[in-house]
Amino acid sequence: MSHYYDIDDIIVDEELVSVVFQVTANGVGLLDPGSETNSVEQGAKIDVTFWLAQELYLREAASINLPMHFNQKTRKEVQADPECVDLRSRCPYFYELGYKIAPMVADKELGTFISLTFNGRYKEILSKSHGAAFAAVPKFLPRLTKEETNLYEAARNSMIAFKEWRLGVSRLEGASVLGRKRKPIIGEMHGPTP
Amino acid sequence: MQIRNHFPPLHQNIRAPHLQFLNPRFCSMAGQSDPHVSLFSPAEIEFFAEDEMVDIVPNLRVEALNMICGDYGPFTPQIPAKVPLWLAVALKKRGKCAIRPPEWMSVERLTQVLEAERDSSREFQPLPFHYVEITKLLFHFAQDDIPDMYLVKSMVEDIRDVRFHKVELGLETFTNRTQAVKLKNLSAMEANIIRPFSVRALQAFYKHDIPDVASQTAATVNRPSMADRGPRRTLRPR
Repeated sequence: MSHYYDIDDIIVDEELVSVVFQVTANGVGLLDPGSETNSVEQGAKIDVTFWLAQELYLREAASINLPMHFNQKTRKEVQADPECVDLRSRCPYFYELGYKIAPMVADKELGTFISLTFNGRYKEILSKSHGAAFAAVPKFLPRLTKEETNLYEAARNSMIAFKEWRLGVSRLEGASVLGRKRKPIIGEMHGPTP
Repeated sequence: MQIRNHFPPLHQNIRAPHLQFLNPRFCSMAGQSDPHVSLFSPAEIEFFAEDEMVDIVPNLRVEALNMICGDYGPFTPQIPAKVPLWLAVALKKRGKCAIRPPEWMSVERLTQVLEAERDSSREFQPLPFHYVEITKLLFHFAQDDIPDMYLVKSMVEDIRDVRFHKVELGLETFTNRTQAVKLKNLSAMEANIIRPFSVRALQAFYKHDIPDVASQTAATVNRPSMADRGPRRTLRPR
């Protein structure tokens, strides 16, 4: 679904999630800033990047805690009014991270929650992007996640391209050479007189 | 008289069949990796529109013109002929013909269409696939051939605005159960404007719709299955 070279997909993997180690791991003390030895104790709670958390989880070395921006408080806020929640400050990759993390946490409703959030916000904000393209900078823009911003930009840009075309006169541009004036040749200065 | 063949802009040098608009591969390419690029620029859509045929009344005598895309003519003064729009515009620019505006561009027909557009809240009226582009070209190059030009122009604008408002209302009805969208009588330019947004929006809906996380075993990180995605929902149910 996501492209191999999709930069957003790569950046999501850098998001920090908190994990609890199920085993004692030797030689990786640098992961745990509070560790005195060069190992991570069983039961230690550490923030690691998502790509590492995923691998640890698959090897059953750690369990993943539900990130803060998916907690009950956020859910209540989103249920109350999806369009007013500032998702960008919570997690710019809210949907993508939620989508990736959903199978790994014990929360059955996370998938539904993400889906509902997007539905609500799409209906309230994004479906109006084409029309909003000409207000200066819409108020909702700083609240959008990365993906929502992409959608909004897509609508805005195609609308702007259309308006430009409609006002423009000709799509053919003259070559830059044509505008240049030829240097008059001295001998021809005295042109034919009528 | 010498008439040069029609030179397409550099970035688009083939006369592609209109089927490209319908090809899902093209649609999914649009704005997929880069949201700032829609597949066709408005100028390219205009280029496609120039293949539409119009009636002209030439005022020059010339043999048949053999072009790559077909043979047109011979032209005799005051005898109407059918030519593609690009040729009509080229002749008109040189003052060699008068363009007969298509019959759907008359005030009466446009009034009917505008009223019908306003009356039906979901359906689009049948207009030529390229009506936005054709009217723009004719308004620009053949002002003297169109009776009541300013009235016609403002009516076309009104029709376009009413239609686009309907398109936007339609976009609002997308949900995670939307699988396909049916837009009857949507014109090329209207489709092109909403293409990058709607394709990405549908992709996003598809991606975020995790049907049943509970049924997956804890250890697998497989993508949700594609089965059971609900009935096909049309944007404008008829």
